[in-house]
Amino acid sequence: MTDIAINRRRFLQVASAVAAVSSALSAVPSVAGILTADNKMNALEQQVFQKMLDISLPTKGSSLVDPASLPVIPTIEQALLAGMAPHIRQGLRGGIVYFNDGPKAQYGKTFVQLSDAKAAEFVDAWTRSEAVPHRALAVGLKKLTVLAYWAIPNTWAPLGYDGPVTEKMGVKSLGNTPEPRD
Amino acid sequence: MSKNQLNIKTAADIAPGELNLSVDAVVVGSGAGGAINAYELAKAGKKVLVLEAGPYVPSDKFTEMLAVAMGTLYADEGGQANTAQDITVLQGRCVGGSTVVNAALCFRTPEHYLKIWREQFGLTELTQERMTGYFEKVERNLNIQPNKGYETSAGAELIKKGLKKLDIPEGNAKRNIRDCVLSGFCFSGCKSDRKQSMLVTYLPWACNHGAEIFADTRVTQVVAKNGQAKGVLAEVVDPKTGQVKTRVNVSAPLVVMAAGPIQTPIILQQSGLANSSGQVGKNFACHPTLSVTAMFDQKVDDFHGATHSLYVDTNILPEEGGWLQLNAVQEPVEASFQAEPGTGKAYVSYMEKYRNSMRLITLIHDKNVGEVKLVDGAKHIEYSVDDEDFENMKKGLKQNARILFAAGASYLYLPTYDRTLIESPEQVDSVIDGLKNGVAKYRYTSFHPQGTCRMGADPKTSVVSPSGETHDVKNLYVADASLLPTSIGYNPSETVYALASFIADKINGRIA
Repeated sequence: MTDIAINRRRFLQVASAVAAVSSALSAVPSVAGILTADNKMNALEQQVFQKMLDISLPTKGSSLVDPASLPVIPTIEQALLAGMAPHIRQGLRGGIVYFNDGPKAQYGKTFVQLSDAKAAEFVDAWTRSEAVPHRALAVGLKKLTVLAYWAIPNTWAPLGYDGPVTEKMGVKSLGNTPEPRD
Repeated sequence: MSKNQLNIKTAADIAPGELNLSVDAVVVGSGAGGAINAYELAKAGKKVLVLEAGPYVPSDKFTEMLAVAMGTLYADEGGQANTAQDITVLQGRCVGGSTVVNAALCFRTPEHYLKIWREQFGLTELTQERMTGYFEKVERNLNIQPNKGYETSAGAELIKKGLKKLDIPEGNAKRNIRDCVLSGFCFSGCKSDRKQSMLVTYLPWACNHGAEIFADTRVTQVVAKNGQAKGVLAEVVDPKTGQVKTRVNVSAPLVVMAAGPIQTPIILQQSGLANSSGQVGKNFACHPTLSVTAMFDQKVDDFHGATHSLYVDTNILPEEGGWLQLNAVQEPVEASFQAEPGTGKAYVSYMEKYRNSMRLITLIHDKNVGEVKLVDGAKHIEYSVDDEDFENMKKGLKQNARILFAAGASYLYLPTYDRTLIESPEQVDSVIDGLKNGVAKYRYTSFHPQGTCRMGADPKTSVVSPSGETHDVKNLYVADASLLPTSIGYNPSETVYALASFIADKINGRIA
């Protein structure tokens, strides 16, 4: 268990905020916020997100694009973390430490030290947990990671999804609607 | 300035320092309520300034990628949520507001609620007869019409078959759209200007009559003296740095608040105004929604088409359960988090079947049990799904699941945090009966925040009078979804269009 003292209510908010903020979907460089030194990922956060990416999208043998060939982790940092409010970002740091330490009691290892199979087992167990912060962190960190992957247009072709259509199809704008006469 | 174009300034156009302006009316917010009032007031001869906190994104810059749109067009980059952070509360934050990113669905306010508003809140002028005139007007102006036969989607067609099998009547949605090209990108903004958002209608029309719009400009305070509105204080924020570039002091004898049901009460609270009732920010509701994901044996390809085209409202009124079913196309980014198939290969397999998936949304009429307030200078949306409302959500999810199976689905994912599968119609009741209300258990989204500056005749229990003017401050009006005394179960956009038009007529003295 982490020795970082986090008030339970505050922790719940921060842990759950990961889920909500990750729904921002703003995970592509073109919408990158202002990445300050305070918002950058530290080494542990990079490892946690990388592990989450490895276990969430094991694409070998599938039709999906290998996430190792895509800038998923930079997308999380540059788009999502860059736009995060300072107090949420600070709390997230504690939340990630707490999450990484989560498997210690059962497995004797941190999340990033687990095998991929055990790490996936741990994440699924936390999504079923009675503890709200466990559910919120497991779902939130996973959601954030996969969203950053799917926000990258290169990932769509294997799904058969063709993306934006208006320019491709030459659809003309109708422009502003004329003002009513009455 | 050419005719029928926006007369707009962004942070890039405004010099740093201080700016003092004097106008007849300042409108806070450029969404449905703000744009309609800007137009009606400008047309009546007033010098109008519209202040919009969000950016100006012209439609040719829309990307048709939800990931990008969330970052540029939505409040908190799409991450706005309740305090428990388990319900995402989506709102537009750009010139045109939520009308730019909504799905264009329009419903007239049901007489059921107008009656409640008249009888319980003293809004005696909101008769069906009077409101019909306003509905007809906005339907004309925004081209609100029932979907034509081709305005559908692959998923909607399957759902229709399911409804027919179950003998459930389908509702054909009305939308404010001209010549829809069925791209399916309503939530990312309509790149070809088919959707009749405020960006292409009331805002340029207001500018035809001299109105001016400032984007990137957030109002921090409404100024009042001796119980009379005097203007607003605002800040122009440079979107590149996030820093305040210019402080703006707007002197105006008329202030119309239309910043939306989250920001309007926050600004009033910051201003210490209009709250003798203690009701500013209270009575928040949001129409929580959950999406059931259906998996088919065959490809469905439910990602282009009309974003929404059909609905089921057999149980829309509270005594019937109070839920609404809505179909919606979805792109991979949305599909990637709507279901929990398990971590790893199970998830990869689920996404590989994206073309075989579709969703049906259940939306509930909820109680006004929430509150929006300032805590340590930050907005808080305190709201949890009420236990009784959750039981209604379960009933709605049962109907949703039965429709999807009747449509031909092989199995369904419920929108729970953990993996919850329904593998046959026979399992629907038992699986859904097992769901319990709680924090961080379900993948909720709200598209319809409302009700934080309740309209009513009694100054002790409401913020805004039946004319739209605040009880406490003369010439300070509210004209957005904050007004709604109760939640209405349907998408509230047409209700806001109509109420905003009604309030504009009140301000202009067209009606007593």
